[in-house]
Amino acid sequence: MRQLAVSGLYKAFGAHPVLTGVDLEVPAGSLTAILGPSGSGKTTLLRLMAGFERPDAGTITIGDAVVDGPAEYVAPERRRIGYVPQEGSLFPHLSVEANVGFGLPARQRRGGKVGAMLEAVGLGGFGRRYPHQLSGGQQQRVALARALAIEPALVLLDEPFASLDAHLRASVRADVQEIFRRAGTTAVLVTHDQDEALSIADRVAALRDGQIAQYATPEDLYARPVDADLATFIGDANLLEGVLNAGAVKTILGTLLLDEAAALPDGQVTVLVRPEQIELASGGDGIPAKVTSYGYHGHDAVLRVQPERDADGPAITVRIIGEQRLRPGSPVILRARGPVYAWPRD
Amino acid sequence: MATGTLTERHTEVRAIPARTRRPAALLAVSVLVAAVLALPLVFLLIEAHGAGVSDVNHLVFRPLTGTLLWNTVRLTAVVTLACAVIGTAAAWCVERTDLPGRRAWAVLVVVPLAIPDFVVSFGWNSLWAWMHGFRGAVIVMTLAVYPLVYLPVAASLRGADPGQEEVARSLGSSRLRTFVRITLGQAKGAILGGCLLVALVLLAEYGAFEILGYQTFTTEIFTEFNGYSFAASCALSLVLVVLSLLVLAGEGLLRGRGRVSRSGPMTQRISPPLQLGWTRWPVLALFTALAGLALGVPVASAVYWMVDGQPPLLAGGANVSLLDAAGHTALYGGTAAALATVMAFPVAMLAIRHGSRMRHFLERSTYLVLGMPGVVIAFALSYFTERYAAGFGYGTSALLIACYAIMFFPLALVGVKASLARAPASLDEVARSLGQNRLAVLCRVTLRLAGPGLAAAFCLVFLSAVTELTATLLLIPTGTQTLATQFWSYETNLSYSQAAPFALVMIVVAAVPSYVLGRFFDRSAHAQG
Repeated sequence: MRQLAVSGLYKAFGAHPVLTGVDLEVPAGSLTAILGPSGSGKTTLLRLMAGFERPDAGTITIGDAVVDGPAEYVAPERRRIGYVPQEGSLFPHLSVEANVGFGLPARQRRGGKVGAMLEAVGLGGFGRRYPHQLSGGQQQRVALARALAIEPALVLLDEPFASLDAHLRASVRADVQEIFRRAGTTAVLVTHDQDEALSIADRVAALRDGQIAQYATPEDLYARPVDADLATFIGDANLLEGVLNAGAVKTILGTLLLDEAAALPDGQVTVLVRPEQIELASGGDGIPAKVTSYGYHGHDAVLRVQPERDADGPAITVRIIGEQRLRPGSPVILRARGPVYAWPRD
Repeated sequence: MATGTLTERHTEVRAIPARTRRPAALLAVSVLVAAVLALPLVFLLIEAHGAGVSDVNHLVFRPLTGTLLWNTVRLTAVVTLACAVIGTAAAWCVERTDLPGRRAWAVLVVVPLAIPDFVVSFGWNSLWAWMHGFRGAVIVMTLAVYPLVYLPVAASLRGADPGQEEVARSLGSSRLRTFVRITLGQAKGAILGGCLLVALVLLAEYGAFEILGYQTFTTEIFTEFNGYSFAASCALSLVLVVLSLLVLAGEGLLRGRGRVSRSGPMTQRISPPLQLGWTRWPVLALFTALAGLALGVPVASAVYWMVDGQPPLLAGGANVSLLDAAGHTALYGGTAAALATVMAFPVAMLAIRHGSRMRHFLERSTYLVLGMPGVVIAFALSYFTERYAAGFGYGTSALLIACYAIMFFPLALVGVKASLARAPASLDEVARSLGQNRLAVLCRVTLRLAGPGLAAAFCLVFLSAVTELTATLLLIPTGTQTLATQFWSYETNLSYSQAAPFALVMIVVAAVPSYVLGRFFDRSAHAQG
């Protein structure tokens, strides 16, 4: 069952079009990430859902009610939206308790509900404090508790983790995911960080040129992007020329099995090989190549290698786990694993 | 998405233009406020037209205008320069050196702002008769208004990035060169802003120059108006407005397009204060002299006349009148302050929250008022209501209050804008998403956060209205007196001992809001830094 539906949404600021026909259906109880580079219009989309801005055309439906359409407009305060902006935006003049209780009817503001919400986000006992006495991560959790306290039909989060330190981000992200799962909340989160989108969301909507380019599970989006551009946006990608024949693609990395989901006619194709689909061997079968650069990241290492057979072609990116340090110029043997995804090449 | 659907959608857009929301109500109210602000200038032009173009021409181009121009310009130039030097030097010593008792000096140096200029000149002139003419005007006005330069420069030095000075030193620039090129460069905008205020005050001053026997455009307009030479007042007002607008334009040109920017995170890092060493004794002596002359003399003089002067002519009568005058002062000042703050709210809201083109337009309309000296606004309003509006509103307290509200609107706007910057739009949006309608958001969030700043704006206007003399004398309803006008009537009759208590009460009434203001801007500077 869907909880949020957006169809044919258009929005321009002056002569500059931002959204040019967005269609999206978010299932109830799921967490959807809207992923797009900065300036792609993702925050605008979120603000339209919340009702802070009005679209030029299109409809937005929350639950069964049309909240924005040619003939309807429901004000933000009557949409039952839990909104968590980038900086958390706690009311600086109110205590944590008063912040969480802000959207509740006056008699519930002092009841056990506020305490329960704070417990749920792991901040029991912080009620009397003021926002400036909290760390960034704690502020973000209070903002979340405040949004969830009104039992919203939909929670909207605008880059909620962007202002947190890297080491905090992962733990707060996991906490938020857990809180939503337990409450069965339908949520839409906006982010420019593909890592964040893939790790937190049930489904990811990739926003490009004012439209949803693809709406799929993280696994699908990563392994089977709709085109080569999207493949490079979602992560590191090797785009190779290949020839498809009877379910197998012949590339510079050898003949690889084609992903069954890619229903393609035989012929010239562009093949997507992710860096971690390639492994290095010290000998035996494989494609001989030379290392051109080596970047160490601790948990893994990313290499650029040049196949010997194609010294003028594009370098290939490989991700390996291990501690061996490879100097530029070292010879290596490449072995690629299928299945791989491909698109027709024109 | 097929192109067919796209065209379809666009037709739909044309059918429902209401879907793009603009702050229509806010815009309408702001334009109304701007129109009210433009009224004095419009009235003045109508009056000039009514007086006849050739008559006005004749009155503008006569020898008197030349004398007034010379008097006004040379005084403005000398005092502005003196204030720039004293204000900047004092601010630098307080903010950047290890001057003993810096916190106390920061207050003592600013307090003279609370003493009306005409009280300062009364203080000097009543004690020493040689304090008059050009020399007297330069000394008295410099002592009365240098805090207008000190305040913005001190705030700017406090907020400036010490990193820039350190980089300059590391690049081989000497201490003096660094001070001139970096420190003064960072404070340039603040110094110019302060000088602008000083120049505008000088162009608009009446009472102090009347006491000191120094003739400027403003004193002459006043005299002509009281002598019922309306065409002459009108002609001189036009010249004065042009002069003020020239000052405004000059400040804009000097300021240039450069902006002081601060790179990196806005952490408040303070460079270690400069060690004064033995020079702290002469510096301390200069500060003591400054406070003594600017603050000590006027207060001591008022106390002297009250305690030691001739006995009051009417025993007990002055007391009743003091209470009565204080009541009217508070009533007029309070109402005007509330009105100006309310008028500034929508304009500030539009400037802070919405487009930049609107902001420019509205800031220009504020400039229109800044360029209109109080005497001109009062003259335009009173003459217009008497002559063209069939006396509607003439001689009522409403007209005086409206005049105050228009005159001090720019001050209110500064305060309200600063306060709204503390209530960002994102908080309003969160509140609305939590089920609060616009009115509830305004009461529970915006006004709560902007409250202290709104109070500061109110204080700023109240303080200015309490110490205002020129427009008050022209517009005060018959039979009523404020502290300023009652002081003035005693002073002009040379009843110094009766005038003194009014001066002292005015100083006290004005000192309280100035203290509140100082605290507010001090804290907001720290909060931003």
